Amino acid sequence: MERREALKKFAYLLGGALSASTMGVIFESFTVFDPINNSYSFSSTDEEILSEFSEIILPTTAASPGAKDAGVGAFIPLVIKECYPPDLQKIFKNGFDNMLAKSKTKFNKEFLNLTSEEKKMLVTDLRQESIDNNKEPSFFLIARDLTLLGYFSSEIGCTVAREYLPIPGKYDGNVDYVTGQKAWAT
Amino acid sequence: MNINTDLKKQNTYDAIVIGSGISGGWAAKELTQKGLKVLMLERGQNIEHVKDYESAMKAPWEIAYCGKLTEEQKRTHPVQTRDYPYSQANESWWVNDLECPYTEDKRFDWYRGFHVGGKSLMWGRQSYRFSDHNFEDNLKDGHGNDWPIRYKDIAPWYDYVEKFAGISGQNENWPLLPDGQFLPPMDMNCVEKSVKERIEKHYNKSRILTIGRSANLTVPHLGRGNCQYRNLCSRGCPFGAYFSTQSSTLPAAMATKKLTVRPYSIVNHIIYDKETKKAKGVMVIDSQTNETMEFYAKIVFVNGSTLGSTFVLLNSTSEAHPNGLGNGSGHLGHNLMDHHFRCGAEGTVEGFEDKYTYGRRPNGIYIPRYQNFKDDKRDYLRGFGYQGAASRGHWHKEVAELDFGGDFKDLLSKPADSWTMGLGAFGEMLPYYENKVYIDHSKKDKWGQPVLAIDCEYKENEAKMREDMMYDAVEMLEAAGVKNVKAYDNGCYPGMTIHEMGTARMGNDPKESVLNKWNQMHEVSNVFVTDGSCMPSSACQNPSLTYMALTARACDYAVKELKKKNI
Repeated sequence: MERREALKKFAYLLGGALSASTMGVIFESFTVFDPINNSYSFSSTDEEILSEFSEIILPTTAASPGAKDAGVGAFIPLVIKECYPPDLQKIFKNGFDNMLAKSKTKFNKEFLNLTSEEKKMLVTDLRQESIDNNKEPSFFLIARDLTLLGYFSSEIGCTVAREYLPIPGKYDGNVDYVTGQKAWAT
Repeated sequence: MNINTDLKKQNTYDAIVIGSGISGGWAAKELTQKGLKVLMLERGQNIEHVKDYESAMKAPWEIAYCGKLTEEQKRTHPVQTRDYPYSQANESWWVNDLECPYTEDKRFDWYRGFHVGGKSLMWGRQSYRFSDHNFEDNLKDGHGNDWPIRYKDIAPWYDYVEKFAGISGQNENWPLLPDGQFLPPMDMNCVEKSVKERIEKHYNKSRILTIGRSANLTVPHLGRGNCQYRNLCSRGCPFGAYFSTQSSTLPAAMATKKLTVRPYSIVNHIIYDKETKKAKGVMVIDSQTNETMEFYAKIVFVNGSTLGSTFVLLNSTSEAHPNGLGNGSGHLGHNLMDHHFRCGAEGTVEGFEDKYTYGRRPNGIYIPRYQNFKDDKRDYLRGFGYQGAASRGHWHKEVAELDFGGDFKDLLSKPADSWTMGLGAFGEMLPYYENKVYIDHSKKDKWGQPVLAIDCEYKENEAKMREDMMYDAVEMLEAAGVKNVKAYDNGCYPGMTIHEMGTARMGNDPKESVLNKWNQMHEVSNVFVTDGSCMPSSACQNPSLTYMALTARACDYAVKELKKKNI
């Protein structure tokens, strides 16, 4: 049909990418259950490191507290343990260990002793690696996704960074947007 | 002997209703209000209105794992996790697939909720009437059997159920989507209004866009509160603002003091009495104790969801009904349909950066079917409608660009720069005899019952329709000035729309159908089936409202016949 062919030129197929437009969570399609049971565990130091990592991703600003205050450091290992299949857990854990090793080779320091500028340099490298690897699953992608999810679902993220209305009571689809107004949390 | 007689008396009712979802709730309400003593059997747990809606008032940060499913939930719910409805916030309302297995000859996603209220607690609430075009399509193009009723037969019952359930919507005088008894419509937002105006102008009103007709109350109604615009319906509504068994039909039935609800009661089969040639009751397995027991009644309403009901009927074999109760036609279990969706287009809308929304509307817009109507001819039969919405979310391209840092966080705390508008189609599926379910005796469920096997697929007509479902959406969005329009077809398997129907169809000819025009079995006069299994065709509208109307109509007939001593 001519009409369809013409339209095909305008449109291109989006594939399964729609869900990605709702949140930063890229790995929703990796939800197939993997029966191999080798769950990783995380120490309190690991939690502290993840907390510092998340603070680099979403730091405290003048507008709102960051991921560390929102409790993302404890959230990430909990979700990795309970909600991720072993193959992704392994990718996460290996990438996590690599980041700690890089901290030593690059700065000759433990991750927790890095300055925030140094941590930012390290995370910038990880981001570049992810882009170079066509966003294949990696520690950086998973940890960043979970930081976004954890932060913007947290009480701080919902009520301080964004604005949360538990019971709006009405719907108005034509209100003025005031410059600088926060986004609704949900 | 006395004990047995007493027990039998104690377990005897005027009517038994199998299932407590949308149609079962209606059957219980109608039959009790007409004076019958009714036993409603539900295979799952009880869920008490408001009190048991555990996550209804939870904030996002109070939902476990911020809503992500655990590996254990994926293990125990391998089917339910295939699509979005099974969520952390209402996960206990979805069936444990391991306890209730079934056989997929071809992939069929069977979403089930076993508890009082059934899927009425989690449904999408879109409520559309079928038109005469839908009731006549089978006869006209020769697919499936002719519906034994026409719009005029069901119209007063649509009126009746809409007035009680509370459906908000806008009358449009559109031939393919009859008007109804609506509560005030919800508002379209500024972008939807603009898209509506431009589409209707572009197509010279040969296509229309209206607000979704939804079983959400826009004003208080019959003692229930109106919608608070939280958009958390699938967790249960503490205000009773959407139609469910719990909010609506169950309290009405309980008020008669004639209803007994028995949860944890799996109906294994309907007991047939060869002397009277009627059903005399049902055999139940208590899902907690595994005890079996019998209940007796003058009439039985089968409302266990399309495939649940079909299993019970297929499993009710006797000398007189060796292939399942009332299955002389051989059509029981056949002609399985669903809709097909996950196909459409979306894009961005510019020019509304100074506008935003307040509140979360649990409803979208609707473009009713316009294909194969008047001059609009297509190279496939029947057609589709669109559901959609415009919104200003908080997506920013920097998310996909893997940005991080303080500016990034502050940016994500603001709404998106532009609005998005999407249209997703729901297409009709033709009835095919070979799309079927049957009992697989090689597998057993947790209670030792055999399981259902499902052999169902979309065919050429559906595949052709999907191309138009995408490109019509592209065309309309472009006509409405939407930018960056992208078409999508995310693929669909039968079962995914959770609109399964057709496996015990109505018809005038007992050789071609299981039920007559009153949803009464041709062969067993005191058994009525009024859930989705009764449908001779699927149309493309969301079907639950039609189940409600058919149920109320069948109850009215059944009680009249009972009083005349005809059954």
